[in-house]
Amino acid sequence: MLKHLAQWRLGSQLLKASAAPMRQASKASSAENSIAGTEEPQKKFVNPFSQPAPAFNNDAVSETKEDRDKRLKVLQLELDIAHQEGRRVPALEFFKDHHWEHVLTLPTKSARIKYFAYLWQIEMKKEAEQRKKAVRAEEAERRMAEMRKEREENTHIIYGLGHTSLFLRIYDTTINHWQNNRLTRAMQFAPKIVLDCSYDEHMNSRETSYAAKQLMMCFAENRMNDEPFDLHYCNAEMDSRCMQSLQRYIPTMHNPEFPINLHSQCFTELFPKQNLVYLTPHCREDLVTYNPDDIYIVGAMVDTMNNEPLSLAKAKRLGLRMARLPLDRYLQWGSGSGKSLTLNQMINIMLDLKNTGDWDAALKHVPRRKIVENEFRNHRDKDQWGTGTRARKLNMRIDNLLDFEEDRRQATSFASPQKVRQRREGLEFQLDTWATGKQKKKQKQN
Amino acid sequence: MYKLRLLRNLLPGGGRAHPRWLASQHKRRPQPASLPPDRLEQLRSDLFERRQELSGEEWAKVRQSLVDGYKHINGHNVDAVILGVCSGPSQLALAKNYVEFLRSRGSKPNAATLGRLLRVYNAAYHERPLTEAEQAEILQICRSLQAEHDTLDATSCENVIHGLVATSGDDWQRGLPLLEMMKVTSAPSVAAYSALAEKAFNVEAPQQELAWHLLEEMATARKPPKCEVYLTLLNRLANETAQLPAQLSRLLQFLERHEILVSQRVAVRLQELSRQVPHLLEAQTTNLGPLGKCQSCQQHLQPVAISDEEFRRLSECFLERVLIRRDVFQRSTPEEVARFKKFVDKTAPYDCVIDGLNVAYSTGTKKAPQQLANLVATVVRHFRDQDKRVLVLGREHMRNWSKQAMHFVHSNASLFLTSNLSHDDPFLLYATLRSGQETDFFSRDLMRSHAFHLGPELKPVFRRWQQQHQFSLATQTQTGQIIVKEPIRHRLGTQPGKVTDTWHVPYCEQYTQHPTDSFEVPANWLCLKLKEQTPATKAMGKTRR
Repeated sequence: MLKHLAQWRLGSQLLKASAAPMRQASKASSAENSIAGTEEPQKKFVNPFSQPAPAFNNDAVSETKEDRDKRLKVLQLELDIAHQEGRRVPALEFFKDHHWEHVLTLPTKSARIKYFAYLWQIEMKKEAEQRKKAVRAEEAERRMAEMRKEREENTHIIYGLGHTSLFLRIYDTTINHWQNNRLTRAMQFAPKIVLDCSYDEHMNSRETSYAAKQLMMCFAENRMNDEPFDLHYCNAEMDSRCMQSLQRYIPTMHNPEFPINLHSQCFTELFPKQNLVYLTPHCREDLVTYNPDDIYIVGAMVDTMNNEPLSLAKAKRLGLRMARLPLDRYLQWGSGSGKSLTLNQMINIMLDLKNTGDWDAALKHVPRRKIVENEFRNHRDKDQWGTGTRARKLNMRIDNLLDFEEDRRQATSFASPQKVRQRREGLEFQLDTWATGKQKKKQKQN
Repeated sequence: MYKLRLLRNLLPGGGRAHPRWLASQHKRRPQPASLPPDRLEQLRSDLFERRQELSGEEWAKVRQSLVDGYKHINGHNVDAVILGVCSGPSQLALAKNYVEFLRSRGSKPNAATLGRLLRVYNAAYHERPLTEAEQAEILQICRSLQAEHDTLDATSCENVIHGLVATSGDDWQRGLPLLEMMKVTSAPSVAAYSALAEKAFNVEAPQQELAWHLLEEMATARKPPKCEVYLTLLNRLANETAQLPAQLSRLLQFLERHEILVSQRVAVRLQELSRQVPHLLEAQTTNLGPLGKCQSCQQHLQPVAISDEEFRRLSECFLERVLIRRDVFQRSTPEEVARFKKFVDKTAPYDCVIDGLNVAYSTGTKKAPQQLANLVATVVRHFRDQDKRVLVLGREHMRNWSKQAMHFVHSNASLFLTSNLSHDDPFLLYATLRSGQETDFFSRDLMRSHAFHLGPELKPVFRRWQQQHQFSLATQTQTGQIIVKEPIRHRLGTQPGKVTDTWHVPYCEQYTQHPTDSFEVPANWLCLKLKEQTPATKAMGKTRR
């Protein structure tokens, strides 16, 4: 334990040491910019992206407090009546203040109906969970009683000294510290990737919460990788909805020792413009090879409702190079949910691209449900037959490995990050078939 | 866990054996408060439609079975659900019986239950007039509901309006402040407006002005009134023929102004009306011949052209609202917009502006660039043969198409290519508007997003302009000839004819609450002729009665 702490402290010192040159670098680049007279880009992105905000403020101020309270009362009555009619709304007691805050911002009755339906679902799930918990508690009671009875009846000594073992227990915090150390090293030496968080006004509240979750997962998956990027969150206004949600996911975000780079300035102020490449799906040029000197920018936006080409517009306005992933060239897109990829999938793709340089390996992170996969499946089955025969000759069981691979490819948008420690199933030691030359016939999978 | 995975693959549809494939179940829900059909439908068909009243124990049994059978039905909402099931006009007695049963048990029916009871009263009112006792009960319920809260919510307001409308006497006028109350939380519904307008048309001392005011409000809020409103008005006019010419022309002007399509029921009623008072009205179903000629009266329909003033307003606002909007970079760049403006100023006016990409891809998207370019060249030739000046819009990548065809296009027409990332439709419309009222454009695109972005005042103007000026490519024959669909030059809505007091009225099959934009000529038309009410005809009408 102490050894780990010592290493980690060294890491944090490294971080402090590296932070200074970083800040100097950013100052230098901004100095460069001002010297070169390119003040315009710095001014430009302060204004246009806060344009929609004043419109909101005006509307909110015009409604007085009494009107607001009156409307709240009427909305509560509406909820009550809908509940009495048996519609999909939760009971009045379920609502908290922040729920009512949100309801008051919804413009139409149908928007309210949909929000109530969502809350109703949560309430039903909670009730179901409580019912299950009661059942489980009962079961547990019963089992404990049985075990106690058994122990009393048993006249022998009982072994097992309460979960002690010979081996050193590795705690999660140890792994976290180890990964943070890797991150601080990445901050000094690894290529950089920018997540542009300036799209808050273009998303509604549900989309901002999804975006915050994806930003959190970007950070987590980057940290877990063997060779992480140096991740920068730019244009991150701390009082925007997205950043507030991110704060709830990562409460220690603002601690000085936490290895995350949050900037409220724009990336053009931090990095030289000729290195920047904006990844946007709306442009025409594919990204062909990965260049480690380029700093790639991904727009942190969930655009389920919005189909304006916002990232394209921003890149055009700032005069940056643009590129898109060569999805059409390497994958055959099916008809299920369009070509949008989540942020953590993007980061994973870029990580694999950096580490392997191979697009096919990198694009494995695209969820398989979006892709037409039939020929892929057939190809795999044929392959499996050949490898299966060889494996049988060598008395190895590899079908579990292949299964595992398939499952891994079925990663979805919001899959939880993979556990660090994974047991290799299937290569377990089987005493009864070891060195017998016989094999248990395994059932052929359909 | 390993075995479970295998098992999932064995299931039918195994390729989709993903734990989240039912994840969006909550979005696939049935409509709110409509439940799995079996149990409630069974209840309705077995019990409610056959019997007029149930005893106390039977009601208790029904209640218990619903509460046990459905997870979301509990003591609070079972009453309203039951009343929702017996909502037909013939089930009024049953509904009253249930409420009595509740009262006899000592529990007070809640607001939603009473509201639904009012709805049942309303449904019954449309079949037969209500007795004094029933009306008194309705009024008492309405009074109690309004007394509880000073501002009622939208659903309760609607229920109370429906209840008040079912009474005779002047109490229905209390529904008007309720309509205002509804506006606090949501836009008042079509049902509420229609109920009040219908009552206003129906009462003895007619409240025509009020009814028309409500109809205007509905139409401005883009809610088409229900058929019953029109039917009530027509029924009234059948009895009071003195007002018929004035009110009928007012109705037709209303339909014309708001571009509303009436339903077949209304059209049938109009024809009946013409049979009842043939000296005042003549109505005939008719078809439209080519060039918009009514087959029964042989008149041509009005042209769809917009006035100069409207055209000027449209062309001024267009670029700002559609191309630039909030951020010009989303559709183009400032330099490109400036370059295009200069180009158009130099080479305007045109006779036709062609959307190159839309035309090229009309016969299919997977053609070779040679064929795409040939199609554009064929369309250009079509116009060239008529000696017209043409502008072709496209994108930069069209330079790489067949040199021969592009050379032809270049020499016989003006050509403007935007960058590959820009939208070319707004440029097309801007160039057409800039050239004046006589310029047409050639595209198969319906321009829905552009119509939407122009805003609700300019959208109808834009649509009429679009209808008048849009050519589109129907198809290309084997020989290479193209068949062009000419624009429809007459108006497609309710309109007066050239001879005074003749009207042509299109109608649709069924009433819809959200009519979509239609680009086709309506199939069914009525040709109406309002006759002058001379003293002779008035006398005739009197003697007839």
